[in-house]
Order: sequence, then C-alpha cells, then structure tokens
Amino acid sequence: MPKLTIDNIPVEVPQGTSVLEAARSVGITIPHFCYHPALAIAAACRLCAVKLLDGPVKGIQMSCSLAAQDGMVVSTTDPEAMKLRSLVIEWLMINHPHDCPVCDEGGECLLQDFTIAGGHGRRRYQGNKRTHMNQYLGEGIYHEMNRCIQCYRCVRFYQEYAGGTDFGVMGSAGRVYFGRFEEGQLESPLSGNLVDICPTGVFTDKTGRFRARYWDYQFSPAVCQHCSVGCNTSPQAFHRELIKIVGRRNDNVNGWFICDRGRFDKEYLNTPLRPRDPMVDGTPCEYEEALAALAARVADLAKVHGPESIVIAGSPRLSLEGALMLTELAEHLKGATLSFYAGPAESEVSLGAVKLLNEQNAATVRDLEGADCVVLYELDLIEEGAMLVPAVRKAAVRGGQVYLVSSGQRTLSKPLPFAYRQVASLDEVIIEGGAKGVVICGAAPRPAEEMAQIASLGAKLMLLQPGPNGFAVGTVALESRAVPLSEVLSSGKVKALLAFEAELPDRLPEGVTLLACADWRASDLAKGAAVFLPTTTWIESDGTAVNFEGRAQHFQRSFKAGLPLKGLDPKYYQHQSPAPLHPPRVPHGEIPGGKERDCWKVVAQLIEKMGGGSMAEPLTGKWGALRDLDPEGGGIRVFGLRDR
Amino acid sequence: MELLLFKHNRPGRVCTFEEYRDGGGFSGLKKAIAMAPLEVQQVVMDSGLRGRGGAGFPTGKKWSFVPRDLPGPRWLICNCDEMEPGTYKDRALLEANPYSLIEGMTIACYALGVRHAFIFIRKGYETAAANLARGIEEAKKAGLLGERILGTDFSVDLDLHLSAGRYICGEETALINALEGKRPNPRVKPPFPAIKGLWNSPTVVNNVETLANVPEILANGAAWFKGLAKNPEGAGNKLFCVSGSVAKRVCVELPIGTTLREIIDVHCGGMRDGKKFKACIPGGASTQFLTADHLDVPMDFDTVAKVGSRLGSGGVIVFDESQCLVAATLNLITFFARESCGWCTPCREGLPFVKEILQRIEVGRGEERDLEIMREHIKYLNYSFCALAPGAMAPLDGLLRSFEDEVREHILKGKCPYKTEKQI
Amino acid sequence: MIPEELKKSLQQRVATAVTAREAAVDVMKELQSHYGWLTDEAVGEAAEILGLSTLQVDELATFYEMIYRRPVGKKVIHVCDSISCWCAGFERIMEHLRKKLGVVEGQTTADGMFTVIPCCCMGICGDSPAMTVGGNFYGSVTPEKLDEILEKERKN
Repeated sequence: MPKLTIDNIPVEVPQGTSVLEAARSVGITIPHFCYHPALAIAAACRLCAVKLLDGPVKGIQMSCSLAAQDGMVVSTTDPEAMKLRSLVIEWLMINHPHDCPVCDEGGECLLQDFTIAGGHGRRRYQGNKRTHMNQYLGEGIYHEMNRCIQCYRCVRFYQEYAGGTDFGVMGSAGRVYFGRFEEGQLESPLSGNLVDICPTGVFTDKTGRFRARYWDYQFSPAVCQHCSVGCNTSPQAFHRELIKIVGRRNDNVNGWFICDRGRFDKEYLNTPLRPRDPMVDGTPCEYEEALAALAARVADLAKVHGPESIVIAGSPRLSLEGALMLTELAEHLKGATLSFYAGPAESEVSLGAVKLLNEQNAATVRDLEGADCVVLYELDLIEEGAMLVPAVRKAAVRGGQVYLVSSGQRTLSKPLPFAYRQVASLDEVIIEGGAKGVVICGAAPRPAEEMAQIASLGAKLMLLQPGPNGFAVGTVALESRAVPLSEVLSSGKVKALLAFEAELPDRLPEGVTLLACADWRASDLAKGAAVFLPTTTWIESDGTAVNFEGRAQHFQRSFKAGLPLKGLDPKYYQHQSPAPLHPPRVPHGEIPGGKERDCWKVVAQLIEKMGGGSMAEPLTGKWGALRDLDPEGGGIRVFGLRDR
Repeated sequence: MELLLFKHNRPGRVCTFEEYRDGGGFSGLKKAIAMAPLEVQQVVMDSGLRGRGGAGFPTGKKWSFVPRDLPGPRWLICNCDEMEPGTYKDRALLEANPYSLIEGMTIACYALGVRHAFIFIRKGYETAAANLARGIEEAKKAGLLGERILGTDFSVDLDLHLSAGRYICGEETALINALEGKRPNPRVKPPFPAIKGLWNSPTVVNNVETLANVPEILANGAAWFKGLAKNPEGAGNKLFCVSGSVAKRVCVELPIGTTLREIIDVHCGGMRDGKKFKACIPGGASTQFLTADHLDVPMDFDTVAKVGSRLGSGGVIVFDESQCLVAATLNLITFFARESCGWCTPCREGLPFVKEILQRIEVGRGEERDLEIMREHIKYLNYSFCALAPGAMAPLDGLLRSFEDEVREHILKGKCPYKTEKQI
Repeated sequence: MIPEELKKSLQQRVATAVTAREAAVDVMKELQSHYGWLTDEAVGEAAEILGLSTLQVDELATFYEMIYRRPVGKKVIHVCDSISCWCAGFERIMEHLRKKLGVVEGQTTADGMFTVIPCCCMGICGDSPAMTVGGNFYGSVTPEKLDEILEKERKN
C-alpha cells in the first residue's frame, strides 16, 4: 500500500491506484477529460497534470497514467502544473464553439467546469475555428461535432467497452472526426451512453433536447424497471415531464452505464393517454370516493358469494412493498385467492429461479466479468438483459469461452458484440474443472430436466426474471401460495378481480361481475373497470425492487406525479368560465392530473376503508431490514433475509 | 577512412547478392551463429552502437530489456519509416545494398531469439522494398534466412510491411499499432515495447542504419567499431544526408565525430552559389538550429546535445544568409501540425497555434506577445503524449534562442526582411 | 466490383498475415490502385475481405496520407512541401503547376488527368525539389523540366 502526500495531505492507497484516483480519495478533483474509471487509460487530453516535488518520480506528470508510489510528494496547485492545465483548456477552446447558450450540455458540461477551474479566459489564438459536418446518428442521439474536444472517450467506450463496430474515429491531426462510416442509427444497444460519457455536448439526448437545463431538473436515484437487471438510473424531470434518463453508477450491477431501452423508453410516463383520474363506472371522481366505492362493492360481493370468489392479482411490475401489501389484503379478505403471474409458465420460471438460487450459486455481475466460461442458455441477451452484455464481453476479451445454447427457437434481435460458440444443446458445453463458469438463462419457459442439468454444471447461475421485480414478487408468491391468474379464472368461481398493476387477459370469463384496476397504464379491459385507481410509476414513487440476482435496491421518487406542464390543458389552471387570460392569475394547491397514488398505499388505504388496521409501513417482519436501504449504497442481496 | 555501411555500394546500381557475399558479407552472421545469443548481444553492447533513427539509445541495451523467459513469441521490427524531413539515408542505403540490413536483422533475431521479423517500410520507398524482397529471396535460397539457417536449428522469417504514409508511424509504439493494422497512435508507456509490444509480446524496434551496422560489428569486433569514430566517446560511422544550400547535396558515410565544417566544406563542396552559411538543422526536422559557432562541433550524440541540439537522424539541412528562418520554421511547424496523429491535446492544438503565430509574424502581423506564447509552447509541448510535438518545438526553440533578433525584426518592421517588395 | 482474381489474391494476402488487420493497408492500397481512389464501394470490399466493418476500414483509410478517400485524377502529382524542398524552392514548382494546370492544391484538372496534392518529405531531399507523378519520382525539378514531365506523363 503506497503512502504518498498530495497537496500536503497524507494518502495511502492500494497498489496500482493512479495519482488521480488517490487524490480523488481525499476529495481533490484533478481536472480531466479523457480519464474515465470504466475505460482504459488514454493519457490523451493532458489536463490532469500535476507536479511531483519529491520522491521516486519528479516534475510534471499526468496523474491519470501515473501509479501512486511510496514517498511521492504531489502538488496539484504548483504554478507549472496549473499553467499547463490552463494551456490545455486554451488549446481546446481554440476550436470549441461558444454555443453554450444553445447547448444541451450546458450546466452539466465538464468543459465548462474545467474551463473555469483551468483559469483560461482570454483568447489569444487569432485564426479561425475548425468546423465539421454533423451526422444523423438515429433517433436517440444528436451529433454536434464542432464541440468535440477529442478526448476519445466516445470511441473507447463504443468500441472497447460496448464492442460496437459502426462508430469510431476517422482522420488524423486536427481533422479527427468521431462518427460513422455513413449516417444512420447507431447499432449498439448501449449507444445512448455516448451522451453520458462525452464530457461536453457532442452527443446529446435527442429525445430531450432544448427542454430544460441541468439545474432545472428534479432527480433522485432510481432503479430501472424495464427488465430484471435493475440498472441504476437518474431520471431527470422538469415540470413533471420526464426529460432524460441517465446512468447512475453501481459497480454491483450496471457499472456506469445503462442500455438504450432504459434511457430512451419513457413514453409510458409522459404519454397524454396515461390514466390520471380515479373512476367509478367510467366517471371521474375523487380518490377517496373511488376507494370507498370499491371497499363497499367488495364487501357486498363477499357477503353474497363469499371471499373465495375474489381474486387479488399483482405482477412482477409491483414493488416489493406492493407485493407485500397484497398479501395483507388477502389476509384481510380471508379466503380470497392471491395471484402474481398471468399464467403458469411465467410463474414456474420466476418461482423456479427463486427456489434454485442461493447466496452461493447466484452469480453477480462481477462473477460474470471474471468468468472463464459463460453459457447463454436459450437467451437473447440484448433483449432480456442488455447491460449484462458488456460483462460477458469483458469475460470474452479476457479469454473466457462463451457458448450460446440455442435449439433454434429464439433468434438474436441483434448480433452479440463478442466471440462465442453456438451449440445446439447443453451437452456440447464443456466447463473444465476448476474453471469459473456462469450460466445465464432467459425468462423463457425452462423445462425441469434442463434446469437440473444446468444446476449440475457446477457453474454459478444468472436466471433472468419474466418481469422487473420478479425475484421479489416470486419470493412473496412462493410464501403466500399464490396461483397463476389464468388458472384461477378458469375455475369458473371468480366473481371479482382486484388487479393491482397486474397483467390482465384480453377478456374476462363469464361470471366476473366486479373488475377493479389500480395501475399507471390501462388496457382496454382496464379502462372499462368498475373502479379504476391511477397509480404512480417507479419514477414517481419510493420503493424497493429486487433484481434477478436477489439484490434489493431502493428507488426514490424523482418528482410528484401529474400532468406535464408542457401542453397542459387550460382547464387545469382556471375554474371560472369563461377562462381568464393567459397566464393564470390564481394559484391552485393541487397538481393538475396529480391524483395518482403509490400502489402499495392504494392497497393499504383500501384495507383501511374495509375496516382493517392502518398500514403505514409495508416492510415489516424479516423485510424490515430493507427499510433503511441506502438508494446509493449499491443494494444488498436478500438471500439471508429470505431464508431466515 | 574505412567504409562500413556503403562498403558494398556500386555506382549507379544496387549491389548484387554475389557481390555482397564475395565482399565479405554474411561473415558476421556466420560468426554470430557460432556464438551464444547473449554473447552476440554483448558484442553489440560493447561496440557502443547507438540507435541511428534519431534518439541515439544504445542498441545493445535496448536488446537487453527483452525478457528471455516469457512464453510466446518475440518480435523484431526494422523501422524504415524514414519520414523525418531532410532525411534520406535509409533510402540511400537500401537502394544501394539491401543485404547488410537483412544480415543485420538475422543476427539480431539470433541474439534476441526472434522467429519472425518485419521491415516496416514507408510509402515511396518501393525501390528499397523491391531490393529487400529480392534480397530476402536470395538469402533464403542461400540458406542464410528462412528455415534452418546455415544448417543450424535457427530459423527466421522476414516479412515486409509497406505503409501508406504518416510521419507518426516512425514513433515505435505507433509503428507497432500500424503494423498490427490499428490506427497508428502511439501507445501509453509503460509497458514498453521490450515487454509488451507487437501483439502484446516483447518487441525490439531498430532503425535501418542501426541494424545494417550489426554484421560488420560482429565480423570485426566491438573494439574495431568503436575505433572508427573520430572522437573518443563515439563509436562507428554515421550516414549524413545533406540538403539545403550546399553546392553538392550528398549522402555520405563518415566517422562519428566528423565536424559540420568538414561535412559541408569537404563533402558537399561548400555552400551553394558561394553564399554564406547561416544555420543548419543537424539531424532532421525535429532538431534545433546550429549556427556558424557550432561548425566545429564533432557530430556525435553527446557532443551535439551539449550545444543544445541533437544528432538526430543525420539529416543535415543547411540554410544560407539569404533565407528567412521564420519562414523555414513555419514550414517545419506546418509539417508537424499536419502530421500530428491527433491523439493528445498539446500536439493536435498547440502546433496549429504556433503555426498561426508564425504565419502572422512572417506576413508582418506579429505582435510582441507572440514571442511569449511561443516560449510557453516550447516549454509545455514537452508534456505531450509522445516525442512528436517536443521534436517540433526544437527548431522553434533554436529560432528563438539564436535568431530572436530576426523574429523581432519581422514584428517591428511589420514585414519579412528577406522578402522583396514584389514578393510581399 | 473488383475482379474475382484480385479478390482471391487479396484473400490470399489476408490468409497469410499474422492477423487479418495486419494486411489492411495492403488491401486498401491494392483496391485503390484498382479504382484509382478508395471508393465507398472499395471500403466495403476491403471490410468484407478483412472481416472488419466499413467504419473500421475507414478509420485506417482516413489516417494515411497516401490513401485517397476522394476522387482523384488519372495520375496524382505529389509535390513535396517539406523543409529540404522548401530550401530548393518548391513554391516555385507549385506556382508553375497551378498556372500550367489551372488548379490549386487538392484539385483535379478539367480533363481528369492530374490531381495536385502537396505531400510530406519523400526522402529525396538530395534531389529537391522533388515530386512524383503517378508514382514516378522526379528530382531537382525546375519549371522547364516540369513542362517536359507533364508532357511525358500525359502521354504514358
């Protein structure tokens, strides 16, 4: 463990730590552009210069590429180092356009920050600025090459990290150009990360251009709920419109990055078609009214047909809190059937994984990166867990063998960016003794005998879930003896279906007289429900999600749900007729279209309305340990809790 | 004096395999193969041979950095990417005789335990490449290259890699990237090529002239080679290729330590049109200007370094009193700015900055503060990623050290004093 | 489309290389000499032969001075503009070329015969000013000599 001093502060760091990282560990940020913790050292921008005053190395050095050594005396404020840093900024600003007012990166631009930090302020170069033509890179990313400071982060990310081959660097000297061979949609499913990794505004999120500034955004730590990987994100909202989603670092799961679906797919939240109002028999009403109506109708129905005629349905879209609260509701309506999955296949896959996995055999992403052998079993990895792709790639680049077991039923939506051997069955997979193996299974139905064969391979397992929170919901379903919805409905005894963020069939069987839905989206069937209760999405609520490897992660509300201010119907800001002139002069307390409630709270309130006790805390008993989970703490695996 | 590199030259044509062999060629290889590889390396080390590509690093020492105990291949690359402006010695050498290099590389492969070696040849040296290709076939046929050389277990494959023109390819790690078919940006060091070079295996990169010296060193011994130099610290001969304002522009082989005065007066027949010597660049475009005060400095690595320049590649470019050194330096900087690979900021952006300043000064729009900005660049371009930008600053540094008055005159008069009114 | 024969010989070159990429420059140069410049189609063909993407080929192609990614005339005139040729007055040669051919640097003559491109030191400093026309070297060029060279090259 080398000991050194940086700006008179003694620092001790593990062998191999760079001086830049050592400085960071004591709170000193040395300006840098090309350095990124997820990428190999480039030492290209020359901004991170420091001066070594004494010790084994002396003079001006680049702190990113200099390993900390015993006895180093580092100064980050030495005049010579500062002069070099200011010159680097001056050199970069020779060609950087002064278009900050119309640049979407403004406010979150590393170049802005380090220009100020670097001390360069007056232009001495008298020549013209170099200009480039931009390219169309698809619907996700806007390209503005003139802003480029040639840190090479984008190409190193795209090619080395993500394994893409359609984006790179062309030309030489001052003519280097970062782009594609020809205009067109970027092919990598991780291409959106160019937005995050570019230190300035060359790549900006086209889906959120010119909507707001960084300092305007409301954001909180969130956990992506598009698939069961559980990547950490920061959704950025402005006036209740979800503008952008950016990656949030979690080395246990997604590293620094997220996939394009997690980044760009936000229509479900912003869509004007989203159900916002509670409704009873198709008529909008207040939330309390709808809850009371539902409580009364359920009570009546239970009285006539018995609680056995009631199904309470959820899905792996629920948060852990929501799932737990449904068990409380089932408890209250003793005799009612609890259901968490649309059908038996889905239920089997999810519950099978929960049963099979334990602390020892459940592979982490780190295990995957370090594997000698990776088996992709009947799986379209890019579709089902895109953020596992770079981890498999890391293993492959390190020399690991990757197998794709495919009986031909599933085809790959996109080519995988690493070398692999495609085999027809598990019998052809050889994991040598002592080798670290990881098998990744998709959420397609897995026959029991094949699962037994997989379990016998001696490899660690990654069993992807059929829904984002499948592991949590599966755990709860297992304990509460839940029954798949299609099975319950086919029994013919069901009179009432209470669906909480559940996947409904296209039509209900004869005899079901009461349908109630609580959801943030509504199918045609749900729209016709007797009682409809709008809920918040995970971005507008607090909660806990457990990813496929049993990692519980807490997400926090980024903003209060409601209709985006942009395009808001005037009826929401005036109650008089005729409407007053724009702008509205009278403020109203409530948020337009903001009646949505968190799903678990809706369940709790329903229980209360039906005469049950008040439920203020959904995480009780063994789950109580997750109550204070730090949303930025990387999450914890729940096997210990579950098996308690 | 005794010729070593040009020993086998024939006027107006390339020497033949038979001529080379009968003139004593391949005796170094025969001698080497009878020795242990490390003994061969020791002879090269003892000879004091220093890299002829420009940096002057001791060749034997470079070889000694290669780990011998690692599994996997080791590589030798001959750097024939001679793109340093003013340098044409490797062309002269290979167009006259490819065999010294082939033999030298074979010996180096033996010393280093290399099975497969490459010659990286710049665009434009097709004649040299053809000579080498023919020479390789001839040597193979004669059992001096390829499988089981001279009936021993020692085998070497020698391949040519023809490049497509970029100065940066001459930087050894950029050259390795170029050979691998990657973009020729230099690599982060460490690891150095001796540990992790071509395809991540230990690699030695030597210049053409360096390797061409090796056969004679083996044939005649380290002491003989050392004794060739004129100055006591020097070793061997050096090719000096002269261009610019001399009467006769020649590429000559002379003992290390020969003075500039002798090179110009004796071998180049003095200055062109009787003009007066003003300055010269002693070793290719990335070395500092020497002035008339330095004409008697022995041309050796350390002696030239002592007066603030570098022996470099031996490409001497001579300027006379009628030439504007601001314009000359502008030409040099323009070259370097264009040839920057674009990897690091100081080189990619700093060189065009200096170019813009020199352009203004040359057309009479210079400002006093430009001198300060240029001095900042001279100092801080040293912290570039590779040696290209520091090399580019060498002539500028020389300009400001020895000819500041000339630069100032441009600024004060608002025009280039060497241009006639008509030219302006 | 390149002839099958050329394609085969390039595939052969790639097969004998240590890695396919090692042969990339050779492949690009061969395709360039077939097409005259490295057309987009040629980049696609190179990519196929080398097992790379078009972008990966273009990353290399655009780096090198002597790979042309834009159309050029039947013969490219490279005039060295580095220091030794500067000393020998390359600017005079350039000026003469501009006048004689009616083009500036980077342009192709109206008849599609010549493209004038200044280039880096060609290592012919002993015979500066130097130039190449269609790959043929000419040293100690004077305006008078240049006329003869152009005449000769136009005929061949």
